[in-house]
Amino acid sequence: MTLTKRALGLALAAGLALGGAGQTLAQSATQALSSESVIESIKREGVLKVGISMFRPWTMRDVNGDLVGFEIDVAQKLADDMGVDVEWTPTAWDGIIPALVAGQFDVIISGMSIRASRNLTINFSDPYAYSGATVLANRAMTEGFSLEDFNSPDVTFAARRGATTVETIMSQFPLAQIVQFDDEGAPTQEVLNGNVHATMASEPLPSSEARRYPETLYVPFDYAFEASGEAFAMRKGDPDAINFFNNWIGVHTRNGWLKERHDYWFRGEEWADMVPD
Amino acid sequence: MRVTRLIPRLHWVDWVILALVILFVGYVWTQIAGTLNYKWRWHLIPNYILGWHTVREEWFANLLLQGLMTTIRICIYAGLLSLVFGVILGLARTSRNLTVQLLARTYVEFLRNIPPVVVIFIFFFFLSVPMIEALGLERWARGIARSEDAAVWEFFFGNMRLFPQLVAGTVVLALFESAFVGEIIRAGIQSIERGQREAARSIGMTHWQEMRYIVLPQAMKKVVPPLANQFISLVKDSSIVSLISVQELTFKTLELVASTRMIFEAWLTCAAFYFVICFGLSRLFARLER
Repeated sequence: MTLTKRALGLALAAGLALGGAGQTLAQSATQALSSESVIESIKREGVLKVGISMFRPWTMRDVNGDLVGFEIDVAQKLADDMGVDVEWTPTAWDGIIPALVAGQFDVIISGMSIRASRNLTINFSDPYAYSGATVLANRAMTEGFSLEDFNSPDVTFAARRGATTVETIMSQFPLAQIVQFDDEGAPTQEVLNGNVHATMASEPLPSSEARRYPETLYVPFDYAFEASGEAFAMRKGDPDAINFFNNWIGVHTRNGWLKERHDYWFRGEEWADMVPD
Repeated sequence: MRVTRLIPRLHWVDWVILALVILFVGYVWTQIAGTLNYKWRWHLIPNYILGWHTVREEWFANLLLQGLMTTIRICIYAGLLSLVFGVILGLARTSRNLTVQLLARTYVEFLRNIPPVVVIFIFFFFLSVPMIEALGLERWARGIARSEDAAVWEFFFGNMRLFPQLVAGTVVLALFESAFVGEIIRAGIQSIERGQREAARSIGMTHWQEMRYIVLPQAMKKVVPPLANQFISLVKDSSIVSLISVQELTFKTLELVASTRMIFEAWLTCAAFYFVICFGLSRLFARLER
């Protein structure tokens, strides 16, 4: 009788002790997690390091060689709200995700669309912009083509390597050929030269190019393919950063700031003098 | 009389060859002009070399010139660094210690048999990124960038906020080129006659004294022309570090193309810059050799 009582008491004490230890362990783990968050290192260093890649009109160099564009406004505002400096790291688009993973910068703010394949390696915030890709085609080569006509082994698309448009072309036009280039200018030039039938890119590029070369280029479909949403990208395993960026995006979506800036860069032409096209 | 001296007397064969060359260039040009649907905008290029800042209202080095200066900086630092590594490698390759010899051999063969782009990615992610982090270079450079008197630093290293990238590019390029410099140095050392070394040893010099006073002074004289050549290759190879986002001439040209779509103007200007540097260097070295 007394033996079982004592045993029970012991078991209870042991259970309590273990539970307590578990609790403190969990506590220190959460503490460690939040102190390792990129948000903490941004505050500590007093600087937000942003990975970008040139992509008109997301990020561009103006006539003074300075960075301008939608992303530049977004990152600057984000840093101002955090009370820190901002440092841009222009990076080749091909290597921007490995560079983020290697810790070259804290976050990618560069019009990167959410894709499952990318999401396996990095985390995304909520979208802060939506832009869909459209087709920009060579008039002489594709006049009168329907959507199905583009899906043929005789049709060649040009696209920017590593861009989501490559995946969109593969899923929309699985039979068509794709040639890939490293920058934004080359695919359009290939369409202009008649070496490929079409390219796919985010608006406003296709429309503005079609206006510039009306005899050669046109936008055959007036709707966007797979509008996926662009989001901030950061390293995995950082819940604090996701929470902070999501809330920042939420606030500036609701108060209209993001839309106003987006319209300025994507619909307006006020900045055209600063970046000759 | 002056004219006849300026234009050397040409044989009729020379005239035929000249005419053929002109015809060929003209043919290529009309082909390009005929098939290339492109609006040339050369008038915009000078601004991207030396621009008038619309806000600060002063002349400043714009994208292409900034890139050129970074390229020059990287080449000078990487050239010096690869010379240091190369001499060490060359000495190691001719060392009497088998382990040292084999280690150096492994390094050289490893680098000579892998394409430069691959080497540069490997060095960047596995060597220079951890090194920069371990040394805390980024914080240190940012501290200077934020301080008032950064002018001297900026003269040597450009924008201090981009200092870590400059270091990464320099180190990666130097490690890559050092394999080739090492081979040149080794060839130089081995070209010294055996008699010279035997003489040194016979008057009681140690191995290091023999190297320092007898072999290296003679070897260095012999390796200067190939080293000069290697430096010109280094200038051209430096364009590869644009892949790891070092802001040199090629990278800045890419940025300019992405921003303004002046594909051909920007790349032709970029090519002209590289040509001027490399051709200038080769003329300079040729003159120095004489």
